Amino acid sequence: MTGRERLLDPTGFDEKAADDTLAPRPAGLRGLTIGLLDNTKPNAEVLLTEIAGELQRRYGAGKSLMYTKGYFGTPAEEDMLKRIAKECDLVVTAVGDCGSCSAATVADGILLERAGIPTVSIVSDSFLVSGRAMAEVQGFPGFEFVAVRHPVASLDAEQLRERVRDVLPDVLRILGVES
Amino acid sequence: MSTLIDAPMADAAEIRSAMEYYARQEWTDGLPVVPVTESYLEEFLARTRRDPDEVLFAVPHLNRRCTVRLAAINAAMAGCLPEYFPVVLAAWDAVAKEPYPRKGIWQSTTGTAPLLLVNGPVRERIGLNSKGNVFGSGFRANATIGRAIRLTAINVFGLHPHKLDQATQGTLGKYSACIAENEEESPWEPLHVEHGLGPADSAVTAMVIRSCLHIEARHTSVPEQLALDIAGTIRRTGALIHETSSALLVLGPEHARVFGDAGWSKDDVRRGIYEHAVNTRAELAAVGKDAISRHSRWRLPNGHPDAMPDRASQGENPDRVPALVSPDALQLAVAGANNAGVSTVIETFGVRGDTPSIAPVRDLDV
Repeated sequence: MTGRERLLDPTGFDEKAADDTLAPRPAGLRGLTIGLLDNTKPNAEVLLTEIAGELQRRYGAGKSLMYTKGYFGTPAEEDMLKRIAKECDLVVTAVGDCGSCSAATVADGILLERAGIPTVSIVSDSFLVSGRAMAEVQGFPGFEFVAVRHPVASLDAEQLRERVRDVLPDVLRILGVES
Repeated sequence: MSTLIDAPMADAAEIRSAMEYYARQEWTDGLPVVPVTESYLEEFLARTRRDPDEVLFAVPHLNRRCTVRLAAINAAMAGCLPEYFPVVLAAWDAVAKEPYPRKGIWQSTTGTAPLLLVNGPVRERIGLNSKGNVFGSGFRANATIGRAIRLTAINVFGLHPHKLDQATQGTLGKYSACIAENEEESPWEPLHVEHGLGPADSAVTAMVIRSCLHIEARHTSVPEQLALDIAGTIRRTGALIHETSSALLVLGPEHARVFGDAGWSKDDVRRGIYEHAVNTRAELAAVGKDAISRHSRWRLPNGHPDAMPDRASQGENPDRVPALVSPDALQLAVAGANNAGVSTVIETFGVRGDTPSIAPVRDLDV
C-alpha cells in the first residue's frame, strides 16, 4: 500500500513557446499580389474570387493567384505554404465550414503570418470555437480571423456576394487597411 | 440500510475530492475517472517493454503526441486494469495505421467514434466479451479499453466537445466502443487470421465508425435472402457522404451459420451483399446525391456548381450505382450470442478495400 501521492496530469500539454507576432501590415493594397488558398470546400473558390475582385476594384490590389489544398482537414503542405509566401503579398483562405477544416483554415493563417504574409482566414460562424481552439494549440491564442455567417456551401452566387459584402470590413481590418 | 461486515474502509470524501479535481480540470469524458499517481502508473508501465517516452500516435496539426506514458495514465483513469495495457497499446498502434484519425476526423462534424475489435487468446485472458450484449455495458475490459482511447483523445489531443471536437451530433459509441470477435462460434477464420496473423496471436483492429444499424432477420435460412436484407441497409442513401460507403458487418453467430452452413465463404458473403447494395440513379437524384463534387468527391445534386459525374455514370450501366466500391469495402466479423437472427451493420469511415488497421498485442508475457 502506497501513501499519498500527487495526482498525475494526463494531458502531456507542454506549453509550446507562444508566437503571436503578426506579419507586418501593408500601408495599402495597391498593386499587391493576392494569394487565394482554396481548401476545396463547396463555394470556397467562388467566395475567394469574389473577395479578390472587391479588393482589386475598390482598393487597387494587383493580380490574384489561386492555390488549392490537397486535403481540407489539415493545414496546407509546407511546400505550398512556402510557395505562397514567395509569390504573394497577402493571403485570404477559405472556407472553414466543418470541424477539421475550420481549425485547419485558422492554422494556415497562423503559419502564413509566421512566414511573414498578412493572412485572413475565413470560417463559418458555426465554427468560431474550433478556430479559437486551434489558435490556442498553435500557440497564438488571440489570432483574429473572419467568421462568415453560416452556411456557405449551399449559397447561390448572389447570396455569396452578399456574404462577401458583410465580411469585407473584417477582411480589411485584419489586413490593417482602412475601409 | 445495511453495511457488509467485510467491505473495506475508505475515505469517500477524499476519493470524491480527487474525482472532482479531475472534473474541474476537464480531464474527463463526463464520467468519474480513477485517480492515478506515479505508483499506479508504474504498474501499467511494468506490463510493457516499450519505452514510456515512445510516441504511439501523433497529430502534427494539433501539435500533440500520445506517448506510452500518457496512454497509461489515461487507461488507468478510464478504469483499465494494468493487465489490459498491452491491448490498449495495440489499440493505439492500430489507430496510428488508420488514415483518418491523423487527418482530423476526430474534430469532424461527422461525429465518429473509434471502434476497437479484439481477436485472439487475450480476449479470454482479460475477460473481453464477445458474446451476448457485445455492444452493451457490463464488461470491464470492453468498457474501459474503449474508454481509454476516447479519454486520451480528449486529454492528450485536446479534443473537447464544443471546442476542437465539432461533431454535429456525435455517436452513441463515443464514450467507449470495444468488442471482441466470437471466434468460437464463427464458421470462418477470425478477422486477424484472415489478414495474416496466427490464430494464437492476439490483435486489435481499429476503425472509425458512424452508425450502428440492426438487422433483424429471424425467420430465414436462405443465405440469398439474408444477403439481400443486409444489402438494403448498407445501400441506404443517408450514409452516402462520399461517393461510396464502407461498413463492418458484425454477424450474430446464427446469421453467420446461415451463410456457413450453405457453404458461403466470407468472400461469398461480401460478393452477395456487394452485388445488391446498389441504388438506382433515380433514387440518388431523388435525395440530391446523384453527382459528386469535383473537389472533395462528396455526393451532391447534379446541377450544383461543383458537380461532376460519379464513377458509375461512366460505366456500362450508369443507372445502377453501387454503394460499395468493391466487395472488400465490407469487413466481416462474428460477435454476439448464438440465440437469435440478429446482426449489426456498422458504417465505417475509411478503409475501402484496403487491409484494415490491425496491430498485434505485444508483451503479453511481461
